[in-house]
Amino acid sequence: MTFIPDHAGPERGSAPERIVVVGFGPVAARFVEELRPAVVAGAAQLTIVGEEEQAAYNRVLVADLGVGRTSLASMQLADAHELAADGVHVVLGARVQRIDRSRRNVHLADGTAFPYDRLVLATGARAAIPNLTGLNPDPQHPVLPDGVTALRDLADAERLAEAVRGRKRVVVLGGGVLGLEAALAASEEGASVTVVHHGERPLGRQIDAAGGGTLSSILRHQGLCLARNARATGIATGPDGAFRALLLDDGTAVEGDLLVLACGARPRKELAEGAGLAVGHGVLVDHRLGALHTEHVFAIGDCAEVRCADHLCAACERSSGPSGLIAPGWRQADWLAASFRARLLGEPAPGPLPEERPGVILLKARGVNLALAGGVQADPWDAEAWEADAAAGRAPLEVSLWADAAHGRYVKMCTRDGVLEGFVALGMPRAAAELTLLFGSGAELPADRSVILRLDGPESSLGRPGTAAGPESTLCRCAGVSRGTVQEAVVGGCSTVEEVSKATRAGTGCGGCKDSVRELIEQHFAVVAA
Amino acid sequence: MTKPADPARIAPPTQPTATATHCPYCALQCGMSLTPLEGGEAPVEVTGRDFPTNRGGLCRKGWTAAELLQHPERITEPLVRDADGALRPATWDEALERVANELRRIQAEHGKDAVGIFGGGGLTNEKAYLLGKFARVALGTSRIDYNGRFCMSSAAAAGNRAFGIDRGLPFPLTDVDTADTILMLGSNVAETMPPFVQHLAGARAAGGLVVVDPRRSATAQLTDDGAGTHLAPAPHTDLVLLLGLAHVVINDGLLDSRYLAERTEGLESVIRSVAPWWPERVQATTGVPADLIRSTARRLAESARTGSCYILTGRGIEQHADGTDTVTAAINLALLLGLPGSPRGGYGTLTGQGNGQGGREHGQKADQLPGYRKITDPDARAHMARVWGVPEASIPGPGLPAVELLRTLGTDDGVRALLVHGANVVVSAPDVSAVRDGLRRLDLLVVSDFFLSETAREADVVLPVLQWAEEEGTMTNLEGRVLRRRRAVEAPEGARSELWIMNRLAELLDAPSAFPTEPEVVFEELRSASRGGLADYSGVSYELLDTGAEVYWPYPAGSSGTPRLFAERFAHDDGRARLVAVRAATPSWSPSRPAPEEFHLATGRLLEHYQSGAQTRRVAALSTAQPEPRLQLHPAAAARLRVADKAWVRVTRLGERATQDAAPSSSGSAAAGREVLCRVELTLDIRPDTVFLPFHFPGLAAANQVTESRTDPISGMPEFKTTRVLVQPADFPPAGDPDADLICASQHEGRSS
Repeated sequence: MTFIPDHAGPERGSAPERIVVVGFGPVAARFVEELRPAVVAGAAQLTIVGEEEQAAYNRVLVADLGVGRTSLASMQLADAHELAADGVHVVLGARVQRIDRSRRNVHLADGTAFPYDRLVLATGARAAIPNLTGLNPDPQHPVLPDGVTALRDLADAERLAEAVRGRKRVVVLGGGVLGLEAALAASEEGASVTVVHHGERPLGRQIDAAGGGTLSSILRHQGLCLARNARATGIATGPDGAFRALLLDDGTAVEGDLLVLACGARPRKELAEGAGLAVGHGVLVDHRLGALHTEHVFAIGDCAEVRCADHLCAACERSSGPSGLIAPGWRQADWLAASFRARLLGEPAPGPLPEERPGVILLKARGVNLALAGGVQADPWDAEAWEADAAAGRAPLEVSLWADAAHGRYVKMCTRDGVLEGFVALGMPRAAAELTLLFGSGAELPADRSVILRLDGPESSLGRPGTAAGPESTLCRCAGVSRGTVQEAVVGGCSTVEEVSKATRAGTGCGGCKDSVRELIEQHFAVVAA
Repeated sequence: MTKPADPARIAPPTQPTATATHCPYCALQCGMSLTPLEGGEAPVEVTGRDFPTNRGGLCRKGWTAAELLQHPERITEPLVRDADGALRPATWDEALERVANELRRIQAEHGKDAVGIFGGGGLTNEKAYLLGKFARVALGTSRIDYNGRFCMSSAAAAGNRAFGIDRGLPFPLTDVDTADTILMLGSNVAETMPPFVQHLAGARAAGGLVVVDPRRSATAQLTDDGAGTHLAPAPHTDLVLLLGLAHVVINDGLLDSRYLAERTEGLESVIRSVAPWWPERVQATTGVPADLIRSTARRLAESARTGSCYILTGRGIEQHADGTDTVTAAINLALLLGLPGSPRGGYGTLTGQGNGQGGREHGQKADQLPGYRKITDPDARAHMARVWGVPEASIPGPGLPAVELLRTLGTDDGVRALLVHGANVVVSAPDVSAVRDGLRRLDLLVVSDFFLSETAREADVVLPVLQWAEEEGTMTNLEGRVLRRRRAVEAPEGARSELWIMNRLAELLDAPSAFPTEPEVVFEELRSASRGGLADYSGVSYELLDTGAEVYWPYPAGSSGTPRLFAERFAHDDGRARLVAVRAATPSWSPSRPAPEEFHLATGRLLEHYQSGAQTRRVAALSTAQPEPRLQLHPAAAARLRVADKAWVRVTRLGERATQDAAPSSSGSAAAGREVLCRVELTLDIRPDTVFLPFHFPGLAAANQVTESRTDPISGMPEFKTTRVLVQPADFPPAGDPDADLICASQHEGRSS
């Protein structure tokens, strides 16, 4: 037996470094893409092992695929053949069974082993399966009855697609972003959909009461049935073993043909756990994305939890585990690949990985426009909160509100020192887009907050109401002719646009002002005739 | 020594008939007639002429162009800098001998490449061609480039990459008239080429003009009242917006699969590259609502299928350090929709300068020989060696693109003598302070111009040249259509054509080959030089052009030209267009909260001024209308800064990095001398996080004081559109600042009318 010390350095003359990536989802694809220069240069020997038969595709669009709005071909993020042509070893449809850290080997279920110098875990997450009577309780290997599906991979999408094509009744369990997006898409494409959620309102953990109320009414208006304050206890199945109804703790049942479980995702950390790596919600990594207490193992994306070994680290204290959003994962993939390239190709090392802030929720839906971020529970008239802020020497949290529930519009901006700490924007797409940018940049909002609201006002889509045009005002921009000059020409005898143009040059450029010239001529002769 | 006859001295026709020519300014090259006028301020009267690009329309710049012909500030004799450092009049012989002697000395001491030429996109084809020849044959230097690098290079690089050829519009402009949807990205034609707006009428009537611009520009306002849609992405996010539009086209199955299969390569990689950019994610980066992205993509696709759809780009998306990739993303979108080469649509870039198209085809570019040939191509070199009658080995290799060329001015291995033609780099180049420092380090600066431009003021020798109405030649407009420029008036005594100047200098330098002074003779040589190249003019002659024929290159001898490119094939060897996957950086959290005074600065143009303003600032009507640059600022931002409308502000570049190219003279504060003083104009037409400043003004008011010399890695295009700046209230005018007089003078002029 050969003993290879875990701390052996990677320097091995000019032999390429062996890098194994476990998982081939969107984050892994991004990492591989970014590391390709090192592979092409011969500095890295890269193996990627994916469990699905497919190379990475855009999981964010699985619900769209499920309702027939896109195709798998359009969702591809990587091409196995192209990667192979560059020298990347791509293994699809294979499951990694265990990691032998002492020998630095990754073992597949079929017995194949891949040695590594560096190992990158990008195993992602799996759908959370709630504890319901009638569902298999083994969370690692759930076997769901017919008519029950999660919404994470292509097989799930196909189950939803069948229900939507058949205009079936769909029950969505979960009032989070994924649940709402799937419900809205399925409903718009013809299914009849009920959303079953905890609490008074969907997105209950993220949204404030008034915003949630507005959202609920918008969702109903979109044709969704909402079962609120609902606690599901089990499912009822028919004689064929297929789903028939979702049972609630108040004794009622929500009947349907397909149950979509949208109850969140759980990081897939068991492989890491089995290899003796430190785990929390996910695989614990430091701020360089290295698994804690190791030198050769890294984790990125949904399976990774940035929580370093320093208990006093303020950034880690603020963190709340893996976000389940794709953008942080892509940033991690970019950063880790850049740090690998720095080592392998001598490129400049990347700066520190920026601390993630709470993401912005942008509901992917055609008929509902919602953007939501940060803390939005504050009440605009909360004197106690102001006093607490004052006592703590903080700038007060200020809340600006615009509520027009009847028309499905609601905006809440929570700012400190003019900078957003959280916001809700419903039914106001331009304000939503602008607030998203402001939340990201940390820039100060206009002191007059209505500047934001007015982005969705009629003057933005229909043009500015014209200011009263005096004789000084420019009528023809191209030739620089004032309204007064044109009026004088008309009074002086010009009675057609052509004559005015000849006399004043107005209308001789783009011709855009010809209507205004005609109007002045008509006005003049109307007055003369009267 | 017998001097050749100066063409300018030959008397023009005496009878007062109108001369049919084209406007001296932009690439629309509006048709105009010049009629002799007795006793006026101008020697000719300008009238619009019916021509397909302008249909008789002209803008203020064109209407007033003749006022410069007899302008009191016109230079009419050579100037040389004397021992006291002052410019004094000299004879042509004295001036040219001094230039030739200095050039000889400098090349003998420092090598051939110690002499550089900086050309312009406003020069006729004949001048552009002869300038390239002069550099390679008479001077033997590789150091030639031109100001087109500041405008067209990104679009040119992207066009070459995708189509294998670069002609701004590969179709006649009138094709656009029938469009029901036009996507215009980063182009403000309502200000820059107003008569162009006529061609948007059809799309506007159909509600299909889509303008992408962070500002609610005059062109964006053309979408009001149901005429179309204005998409206002945050500065420097156009690339992401384009990736998002392509994402919707692909995911909603709106692409033209048959066209893509038959005529393109690279679809799969583009599909993968846009997969990460679904509309909501694009919204989070650009600030453009997701639904607007979806509806715009659908509109484009619908129009491409059943109507007529065009995608046009301008400097707004091109003048970036990732400009080539952004244009590529626009071209990819056009290819996904099956537009290029289709009879009912297409992609084009709107060339800016008067001869910005022809100027980039005939050898003014550092990497190029006439006919749009590559200077590294052995066949091209052999061909040019035959045409010029010189050994192939004597033709230098590729030189440096403009920004790099300017960076080497006066440095040890750099250019020590520079000849400038048709450019005003002290105003138009990025980071003008560094450029001026470079010019002052030169051993010799020779500027050919008809006014004492800001660059000419720095010169050791100033050579007075002809204006447009005084010369013959050809121009190639934004459509790739070759036009005749015709002489209507006699030039002032003392001014000479640039062809004549090169002829004289070539003789003084004992140059091989020939440097004809007659434009038509030069053109005949250009014809044979371009034969077989991408931009083949071999079938074009003055005689043909004078018949009024519509002449579009490529126009090989024996053909009838090419109004529409790509109908059958693209210019790559296999005839297929290339979709090239481009990527935008993953958006990141900004590291720290921006200061309240921090903004994105975009630079751009005003209707009343052209380029560096050396001409238009001297036209009373234009300088009265726009006497000074005003910094556009949103009222909400102004409230935060506590500045009122018309208040003076100081604009400085933020976080100026200590780059390796930092000029040695900039000591102390890194930003020293790199600031702009100007007044603000409050407007709702700009985003609160962005300011806009026109670049036509010199000195302290020069927007390019604060732009960066960072460039696109592919095209060499500088970043003009998003510099991060600080805007702070300023006490003005500061006492004793000589540059301030300039601003105050123009101020005063503005008020006195």
